[in-house]
Amino acid sequence: MTTTASHPARASRVVDVADALAAVEDGMTVAIGGFINSGHPMLLVRGLIRDGRKDLRIVGAASAGLETDMLIAAGCVREVVTPYVGAEGLAGIGPAFRKAAQDGDLLVFELDEAHFYAGLRASAQRLPFNPWRAGVGTDYPRVNPALKEFRDPINNELLLAVPAIEVDVAFLHAAISDEFGNVQHLGTRYGDVAMYAASTKTYVSVERVVPNQQVRANPALTSIPGATGIIRASYGAHPFSADGAYVPDAEHIREYLAAATAWLKTDDRSAVEAYLTTYVREPATQAEYLNRIGFDRLLTLNEF
Amino acid sequence: MENVNVMTATPLETMAAVIAHDLHDGEWVEVGANLPVPRAGALLGHLTHGPNMSVMIAMTKAHLVDEPVIEEFQYITDVGAMRWAEAYYQHDQLLNNQRHRINGVFFCGGIQIDAYGNSNLIGIGEDHSKLRFRGPGGIGTCNATAQVGRWHLVTTAHNRATLVERVDFISALGYGDGEEGLREHLGLPNDGPSSIITPLCVFDFPSDTRRARLKSVHRGSSVDEVREQTGFEFKIEDDVPVTEGPTASELLLLRTRIDRGGALR
Repeated sequence: MTTTASHPARASRVVDVADALAAVEDGMTVAIGGFINSGHPMLLVRGLIRDGRKDLRIVGAASAGLETDMLIAAGCVREVVTPYVGAEGLAGIGPAFRKAAQDGDLLVFELDEAHFYAGLRASAQRLPFNPWRAGVGTDYPRVNPALKEFRDPINNELLLAVPAIEVDVAFLHAAISDEFGNVQHLGTRYGDVAMYAASTKTYVSVERVVPNQQVRANPALTSIPGATGIIRASYGAHPFSADGAYVPDAEHIREYLAAATAWLKTDDRSAVEAYLTTYVREPATQAEYLNRIGFDRLLTLNEF
Repeated sequence: MENVNVMTATPLETMAAVIAHDLHDGEWVEVGANLPVPRAGALLGHLTHGPNMSVMIAMTKAHLVDEPVIEEFQYITDVGAMRWAEAYYQHDQLLNNQRHRINGVFFCGGIQIDAYGNSNLIGIGEDHSKLRFRGPGGIGTCNATAQVGRWHLVTTAHNRATLVERVDFISALGYGDGEEGLREHLGLPNDGPSSIITPLCVFDFPSDTRRARLKSVHRGSSVDEVREQTGFEFKIEDDVPVTEGPTASELLLLRTRIDRGGALR
């Protein structure tokens, strides 16, 4: 075999789940990609819970879903930064989010989705804040004093200063990546690209790792050109959907909702603890988790 | 052609017709998931007189006037909408693009809506750090109601807990406390909410007071019922008209093409 290479080999960015989870320390700001019932990196989210992470500042998606609710239920979260936590028709408001906020055990960084992206953009641009007009005259600056009304120096207009949302680690889920961290989403990409831009490190779990040649066949599709690490994760967004692969597992989502709602309604944590034990703490690997969900269920989650 | 009796229109179908009648061809309308009434109203406007409307459905830009049946989606990210998509809306890019939004019409809900058209999705209580009822969060209602050309408040819960004198928190600003010229003073691009559309009636906001006035009452309800179910005082003119509900052909469209699942019935 002949080779033209006279340089070191290009390094693979495919890492183990544990490597990605090791990037997170208690107290950090962690962004979780996806959108309501879709595209959340659940293999990594369950890992954060299993590792017993505490005092996290979770930047949920705009809008966040039950992945954020589950982190709250498991006691990992000090503060959430998101304009919504819920599951649309399955649950208008996340039950653990409701419970912890009503008990005074959770800080909510109250903001609109436009403020959310303004804050991420400020972080991406390495600026202290981005200005935004909507929100002046509302109660947002009152309930979230970090949002400050000011007069802009160009036109003297009343605006809100939205502080940079600086993210230590972003966890995202996408369809494919090559082994060098060139990630391609199928579908709308949610706000994942904005989270990537605002984060120091970005780990992306993908349904499949594909040849570099496949990425180069359609480079316009590359959404994240250079993730810190790639994690192999078939059904990595379960019980939520992954565009191009499977739809939400509504039955499983309802199982979580029933457990978390029991905590909300009765203050009794036994059901939510049982859920976390069965589906999060005991199964140490993705395969063990998927075994507990079962092939029969997984094979019903077809998009078309 | 199937015969539909307009007298059978339900309150929610009447709400959808009110929304549709108000829309102009060429406007941009968002159709959220799990909001069956604004969805049906926007699609009804699109199918009857809006061939140049842009309908945002499940994060796509869609054009649906030739679709025989428009299924309802349970999820805003439902990939089923891909088959209609002329574009995907990448959410962060959508929020970066506010200049074109002045051509949009928005429908804002609320866990509370007040007499001056303010909406609250944050929560119920005095202390934000310990709410009695934690709401879902304002989502994008604060921004959308500030940026679009026109907007309405919509609720399917016409009761005294929802329609209140003053919301506990303003997440979407209507007319504040009715101060003259408030929105212009704040530099907001639109004139504020046009109406509150409910299963019983429509309120509007006369420009002299900016306080809710009973504009029309749906067939099947009454001024007394509206008064009984509303948590704020509102102006009642001498002759309150009956709301213009769906025509027979509109009702047929709703039941055969837009709302086959019967979410409005």
